Formats: sequence, C-alpha cells, structure tokens
Amino acid sequence: MTRVLSPVPGRVVGLAGVPDPVFAQAMVGPGTAVDPARGPGAAAAPVAGTIVKLHPHAYVVVDAEGHGVLVHLGIDTVQLKGAGFELLAAEGDRVEAGQPVVAWDPAAIEAGGRSPVCAVVALDAGADALSGVREDGDVERGAELFAWS
Amino acid sequence: MDKAEAIVAALGGADNIIEIEPCATRLRTEVRDGGAVDDAALKAAGAYGVMRSGTVVQVVVGPEADTLASDIEDILD
Repeated sequence: MTRVLSPVPGRVVGLAGVPDPVFAQAMVGPGTAVDPARGPGAAAAPVAGTIVKLHPHAYVVVDAEGHGVLVHLGIDTVQLKGAGFELLAAEGDRVEAGQPVVAWDPAAIEAGGRSPVCAVVALDAGADALSGVREDGDVERGAELFAWS
Repeated sequence: MDKAEAIVAALGGADNIIEIEPCATRLRTEVRDGGAVDDAALKAAGAYGVMRSGTVVQVVVGPEADTLASDIEDILD
C-alpha cells in the first residue's frame, strides 16, 4: 500500500478539473489534482523513492513497491523550457515523501496565461487500485491524496 | 520493429514528420499529412491515446516520452 501525498498546498480539484484531456481522461493513469496556493513555494515528492524522471515542470518518483507517481506542475508548462522552475534534486536521487523537488511560483505560471494545476497520477494503475481519492477540499503540502494498493 | 520504429511508421513514416518534441507524458509532433497518421497503429505501438489538431498530433506515451523521442530522432537523422 502506497500513501500518495500532496506535493503542494492548495485546493483539490480532481483529475476532471485539469484543463488537459490527457490528465482529465486519466490516459496515463488515475489520480487527482491540486490547484496550488499562489506564491513562491516548492513541490515535494509524493512518495518516498527514486526520482526516475525529472523535468523542470514534471517528475516521477517510483517507490519500493514499484509504484510510479507522476507530478505535473501546471498545464502546457513544457513550453516554458524550465523558466520559472528550479530543480532542488537530481534524476536518480532517492527522496523522502514530502522532500522538496522543484521550486516554483504558481502565481507566475498563472500570470503567463497557463493553468498552474498540479496533476498527481498513479502511472499505469487500474482505476480500482486507488482508494480514498480526494476530489475536493483544501490540503496542506504532505496531506494524503489517495492510497494505492 | 521496436516501439520507436512502430511510432514513426504509424505517423506516416520519417518523411511525414516535420518535428517531434517530448513533454512529460506525450510526444508532440507536427506532420506534413495528418491523413497519413494511423491512430490504431499508434495505439498498437503502445500509445495510451492520440490527440489531433490538424497537422499537430499528440501521442500520449507516458513518462518514457523523452527516451522515445530521442530514439525517434535517431531514426529521423
């Protein structure tokens, strides 16, 4: 059982609340999404494990059970080519759940005309592999978003 | 045929691909002829989904998009 934690503080909106069909239709896996609190902050590892992919705007952490969790910071943020994101860890690093991975400012993303919504996706999980999925309400960074069996 | 080769073929072949760029979850490609792109073949090659807007085709492949894109660049060069 993997407890997947919110990488950012904010308001949970569910995957259906992500303005991008890949996430909203759960094409790469089920999960949820958080509309982050505006202002400078750091997005954290959702689980303890190894960072297997690290882009400025997205990262994947795989835990000891082999569960890969994707955190995607904002929509169409690949177009920023890293501007506004500062890496606080490196690909291949082992991280603890809640450890900061990328520093960013959701307000700056929004000011640039993009949604800063953070999708948190259980890669390749079946829809019924997740339980207790948060779909709404406010969360602190590190609050549980769902459990993955 | 490996996955990169299968995706190139499903996009209508190397000559049909103008540009291919990875994002965290997908390959963003621009093709000459959108009609030469075979969605079913892309899914058979392992794509989770395909989104099109004219000659811009997004192939959803998950986080291996960056490694697949570099394999595809090798084929195109």
